[in-house]
Amino acid sequence: MLQEIIAFIILALAVGFLVKKYFFKKKKSSKSCSSDDCGCH
Amino acid sequence: MINQNINVALIGNPNVGKTSVFNQLTGLNQQVGNYPGITVEKKIGFCKLPNNVKANILDLPGTYSLNASSIDENVVIELLLNKNDKLYPDVALVVTDVENLKRNLLLFTQIKDLEIPTILVINMADRMEHKGISLDIPYLEEQLKTKIALVSSRKGFGIEELKKLIVTYKTISSEPCLNASIIDPEYFESLRKAFPSQLLYKLWLVITQDVNFLNLERKEIHSSFTKSHSDLKRLQQKETIKRYQFINDTLKVGLKVDASIAKDFRSKLDRVLTHKVWGYVIFFLILFVIFQSIFEWSKIPMDFIDSSFASLSTWAKDSLPDGVLTNLISQGIIPGIGGILIFIPQIAFLFLFISILEESGYMSRVVFLMDKIMRKFGLSGKSVVPLISGTACAIPAIMATRNIENWKERLITILVTPFTTCSARLPVYAIIIALVIPDKRVLGILNLQGLTLMLLYLLGFGMAIFSAYALNKVMKIKSKTFFVVEMPNYKLPMFKNVAINVIEKTKAFVYGAGKIILAISIILWFLASYGPGKQFKNAEEIVKAKTESTALTAVELENEVASYKLENSYIGIMGKTIEPVISPLGYDWKIGIAIISSFAAREVFVGTLATIYSVGGSDNDDTIKNKMAAEINPATGEKVFNFASGISLLLFYAFALQCASTLAVTKKETNSWKWPLGQLIFMSGFAYLLALITYQILK
Amino acid sequence: MRTTINSLKKGEKAIIKDFDIDVIPLKLLEMGCLPGNTVELLQIAPFGDPLYLDINGSHLAIRVETAAEIEVELIKIQL
Repeated sequence: MLQEIIAFIILALAVGFLVKKYFFKKKKSSKSCSSDDCGCH
Repeated sequence: MINQNINVALIGNPNVGKTSVFNQLTGLNQQVGNYPGITVEKKIGFCKLPNNVKANILDLPGTYSLNASSIDENVVIELLLNKNDKLYPDVALVVTDVENLKRNLLLFTQIKDLEIPTILVINMADRMEHKGISLDIPYLEEQLKTKIALVSSRKGFGIEELKKLIVTYKTISSEPCLNASIIDPEYFESLRKAFPSQLLYKLWLVITQDVNFLNLERKEIHSSFTKSHSDLKRLQQKETIKRYQFINDTLKVGLKVDASIAKDFRSKLDRVLTHKVWGYVIFFLILFVIFQSIFEWSKIPMDFIDSSFASLSTWAKDSLPDGVLTNLISQGIIPGIGGILIFIPQIAFLFLFISILEESGYMSRVVFLMDKIMRKFGLSGKSVVPLISGTACAIPAIMATRNIENWKERLITILVTPFTTCSARLPVYAIIIALVIPDKRVLGILNLQGLTLMLLYLLGFGMAIFSAYALNKVMKIKSKTFFVVEMPNYKLPMFKNVAINVIEKTKAFVYGAGKIILAISIILWFLASYGPGKQFKNAEEIVKAKTESTALTAVELENEVASYKLENSYIGIMGKTIEPVISPLGYDWKIGIAIISSFAAREVFVGTLATIYSVGGSDNDDTIKNKMAAEINPATGEKVFNFASGISLLLFYAFALQCASTLAVTKKETNSWKWPLGQLIFMSGFAYLLALITYQILK
Repeated sequence: MRTTINSLKKGEKAIIKDFDIDVIPLKLLEMGCLPGNTVELLQIAPFGDPLYLDINGSHLAIRVETAAEIEVELIKIQL
């Protein structure tokens, strides 16, 4: 059970990261792309 | 005061070794970012100076003068004009090349006019003897009203003395070394009267440049002091002549060159490298060596990483307690991380070669060699640099078009650059080539797989050139062509510079793309491990009932159940929905999922398949490659990755624009959605059609 | 006929005399392309364009169409 809880927390983090990266990027990028290289790799 | 960091700005022409001086001062203690709002690289380093003084060292973009002609150069002026900027320098280091002192001093005199304490750093001093150059330092220091540091960033001498000199910045004169206002005394006098508190040269820069200057309203100046464009340029010419007169007079006494000693290595090398036959042969050979080595040399570390992660996955599965989290780790996270790290060798090699080409000065010769040919296709010789650096990443490549003076040539270059094979395509190519092209040698020495890879790169370049030609015919934009390229001295690339560049870029890949790949791997694992409805829940019973008649071993049954579950999971359902669109290209639904997730970043392709196949099969200790090779299409009974579908996939990835970041940067650089949307529709549509035709012919 | 940079032969040196400032980029002036300075034609690219010059100690390449706007006076090589 504990395993399941941790696994779903990890899932939530992963989804959260992608949502932040692709949907909230607009606001951030107007100021600065900081060190993430503007999504370039 | 002791704890306060001082700001030091490094300013200089391109190709004077400014970045080497920066690296020597800061070592690995640097941060690379962007200036707010624009994608110009901003490098800040930290340096401990004598007497416990700490300094922030800012490496400004290379510029020939303070008359900006690009966004990169604008950054320099905006910083130097804005005293409120938190990076506004306490002291400026103008880095010059001892062999190009005359031209480099032009910028120096302009910086002096801004009344910032300035140190003149004369770099490449180790070559003075060889070139027969001698300098009268005390005389130059007096005339230029500055302190001079003779350094060699290559040999590493003079750096400690430079550090000592920076500490004494408060005693360094901030007086201008010449009076530029004599080019039009009346005009400048009226300016001075109108804005008595402002520095005259600053006013002049604001009038002639297109920069935002915080404290002064541009309009205010303009209404009363407008001059025609032509008049302003005439004044700028006068100003330039004035400055050169001063520099010439100073150097006449301060600099002696014994021409008899100077041996010209450059002209000999130029004769070969820009030769009408040998020049092209050498260029082609260099490209060939790069692509062969990317494939051959990185094979061993890549195979090692691949198999290590496969065994790590098995180990995790066996030693952790059974459960959801263990499965997530062994099937989702470990293959996901492996899918990032496996590309490090190839990406490092690619950046290694690109930075060697740029550091050595060879890139300018390629520009020179290719200009006439490229112009036939509506491009500029300078387009070669974006097209080559596009093999690393289209985003910096598109930004590198900024120094193309002609707008039409620049626009076409931006539009076609994404066709070049970027490093994100490399992993996809690598794995598919390894699967469908035999590992054989042809003509004795050429590796067939390496050759295929090179063909794909050539195809990318070819398509870029061809589209440029078409665009050139279609677009009706008239613009003046200005083309000035500096041909720098040949230099042996410095190990430190190259190494820092490779490390920085590889790190950016691992942290930037890596995070996305990992997040997607985790989400995919969940989508593949859970499904809606009864069919997923009761998978075991359904499969058992189906296969009752055939006697299956326990392992076979387990595999059957796993693949049945996968088909009925969320991802299976999504994949099946889009299958009709992609099956004509020879792909199954699993590849379909991988293609969709590729729109986040192309490299995700391999990681996605790795995750899907890990969930679908019970044997985790196999490598990604072997899993893909073993995959059979149940509909046709053939291998999923066969020659026809493999080639079709290669072509699809070669042409489709699957990169959200490229679209964003095109929008930024062209200031319109029209161009990026056109790129997306044309490139992806073309990729689909070509992959379709190829598969239908080959199958 | 007026002599311009593009009519020089490889290895020839000349003094820059005059040009129409409106068609010459400021950047070229800043690199040292100013009346009175010397220019030497070092190399001609394959297919005849661009030209590789040494202007006042700066090594740079410009296109023929720009070179054709810059009037020069040939320096006779003394034997």
